[in-house]
Amino acid sequence: MNEFIEQFLIEGRELVAQGSDDLLALEEQPGDKQRIDSAFRAFHTLKGAAGIVDFTAMAETLHAGEDVLSAVRAGTVTMSPAVTNLCLACLDQVSAWLDEMQKTGEVPADAQTKANEVVQRFSLVTDTSTHAEAEDDAASRAPDVLALTPPARQLLDAQVRLLNDNGADGRTARWLSAAHVAANVLRHLGHVAEAGNLERLAETALSAGNARAVADAIARTMESVSAAAPQGTAGAAPLADQTLRVDVKRIDVLVKLAGELTVAKNALGHLARLAQDETNPARLSVALKAQHLHLERLVSELQRSVVDLRVLPLQTAFQRFPRLVREMTGTLGKPARLMIEGASTEADKSVVAALFEPLLHVIRNSLDHGLEAANERASLGKPAIATVHLRAARQGEHIVIEIEDDGRGLDLARIRAVAVERGVAPSAVIEAMSEEEASALIFAPGFSTAAKVSDLSGRGVGMDVVRTSIERFGGQVTVSSRPGQGTTVRFTLPFTVMMTRVMTVEAAGQIFGLPMEAIVETVRLPREAIKPIGTASAFVLRNRTVPLIDLGQALGGKGQTSGPEATIVVVKAGGHIGGLEVDRLGDRLDVMLTAPDGLLAGIPGIDGTTLMGDGRVLIVLDLQAFLQ
Amino acid sequence: MSFRILIVDDSKLARMAVAKTLNAVHPDWSRVEAANADEAMAKIKEGGVDLAVLDFNMPGRDGLELAAELKALNPGMPLAVISANHQIEVVERAKAVGATFLSKPLTEQALRDFLDVAVKNLKATAA
Repeated sequence: MNEFIEQFLIEGRELVAQGSDDLLALEEQPGDKQRIDSAFRAFHTLKGAAGIVDFTAMAETLHAGEDVLSAVRAGTVTMSPAVTNLCLACLDQVSAWLDEMQKTGEVPADAQTKANEVVQRFSLVTDTSTHAEAEDDAASRAPDVLALTPPARQLLDAQVRLLNDNGADGRTARWLSAAHVAANVLRHLGHVAEAGNLERLAETALSAGNARAVADAIARTMESVSAAAPQGTAGAAPLADQTLRVDVKRIDVLVKLAGELTVAKNALGHLARLAQDETNPARLSVALKAQHLHLERLVSELQRSVVDLRVLPLQTAFQRFPRLVREMTGTLGKPARLMIEGASTEADKSVVAALFEPLLHVIRNSLDHGLEAANERASLGKPAIATVHLRAARQGEHIVIEIEDDGRGLDLARIRAVAVERGVAPSAVIEAMSEEEASALIFAPGFSTAAKVSDLSGRGVGMDVVRTSIERFGGQVTVSSRPGQGTTVRFTLPFTVMMTRVMTVEAAGQIFGLPMEAIVETVRLPREAIKPIGTASAFVLRNRTVPLIDLGQALGGKGQTSGPEATIVVVKAGGHIGGLEVDRLGDRLDVMLTAPDGLLAGIPGIDGTTLMGDGRVLIVLDLQAFLQ
Repeated sequence: MSFRILIVDDSKLARMAVAKTLNAVHPDWSRVEAANADEAMAKIKEGGVDLAVLDFNMPGRDGLELAAELKALNPGMPLAVISANHQIEVVERAKAVGATFLSKPLTEQALRDFLDVAVKNLKATAA
């Protein structure tokens, strides 16, 4: 994917978020001039961006939206719900295109049809003659430019060779015709300007005998032309997870620290020279201690600053909710508004990224189960429009996020009854539970009190999934409620999360994690290549004898001496190298390790545990213990 | 003769596109970039900028307001205001502050034409 497409995707998503935000705010306060300006600018800038990457269909789609917003700005069209819906639909389409481009790196092929549909819908709402807006959209006039085809490339290469040939007779004429051929190839592909440049350059340079300049210019053009053409990168990983926008101030802090570290390093060099001549160890030790303190401060500051780089505002996770709540309340027929507080609270990037799903689930639950139907609210004397608060705040080393609704509260009697029915725990235990404990039953696996499966929450997963995903990051979920007044679900998350990269392997029918940093490589060897040495066995890898441990056997399970080939993970830990034979290799995961506790506490060979996506516990092995 | 050009646009993508076009026309020129009017003024005050290309549609002060400020500071500085919408009003206002109006996306020819005139004027003032 070229850098223009990459930047386009980053900016595109930001602008879609900005535009949606503004449109939703306008729905609340239709007259907010700043919001109209901001929405207009988001559409306008998006359109410009689409033009830059030659995405004509997207530019046209946005142009239609921009036209309407411009009319709203001028006061000739009112910001009706229909207009809002159209503009949001327009951004949805853009969002879908961005997703597609993220995968393929190319402009989607069927975009024009979809663009026409959106434009068509816009034209029904507004009469385009009511405002004097851009009659010609430059983006739609952009000529079609083709990428370098293989024959074109061969032709251009041949001309470059001719230009680099310094053969004596008639060389200027030969050079000139080579330059013309190259220019024609470029022109044929639609690179008219480049072709013109080349011809101008050829006129002056060739008569001066400088064929090299022309050859170089062709090579440069070929490079820029192929760079500008959309390149398909099949199976590109999601960009959103790889790029991180960082505040310049944070980079500045790092730069400053790097400078201070260099100074500290130089000071150490100075001390080393002193140590050669200094006869008084006490004086040396004082100087060294001072340096050590200084370095310690710098290193801990560096650590903190690096962690800060991974920090994002929760806004990134929150921004889609106003939109989603609006849609959900529409589907449910329960009017509700979402109040977001503390969106600027920051948390680790991995936490922010993983928060969306659990939040969505809890908010869905609030709307679906927590809130009473409109007529019920009316008879209770509650405000017709329900309120759901989404709050975030930093509390010491924790981030606390609350989702609070003003609905009916938890029906504890019903929760107890269902828990008994589903066999979550023996009925005597459930009856004896305090209110708090009974509330927490909603997080029990497989628990769901919804009388009927609804469109919204009934997806076969319950609040237990929410709990699992929050606990994966070392967080906690609690719920509290007051009958008739509402329910509050609270996530408590650690501010910093140190992730460990592990590879999962299967041995003796179980899955284990191996720290990636310890893995050297994985190999498959024919069984004959493994030689018994005493009671143990070993194999030779690049002239080095490596001891082999059957992981299943070592863990007290069944060995895997069957099968013609052995799957071996070569690991290095504590200065030892060794091979671990496993049944199967698994995935690579980023996990947060927690120290082994409970039953696992004190067992050698276990580095820590982590919860997997499906709620199972993954034991990550301490390889040093195996290799000694 | 090589010059220093200031590119002002709140979209980095747009700045990249202008930079690429500029590179095709005058690869030897140096450039500075700014994301809004305030940043642009700060870069101008650092000195050394000979001419500027400004996006019309920016949060805060727009390209025309910035153009007026730049002209007040340095009346001889060649300025271009670019916009994706070819609105008569914007074109007129650009003319009024003494800036050239260019359409977005910027074509190489349009930029070349602007720069040719700009260079002529800069050389005339220098002489």
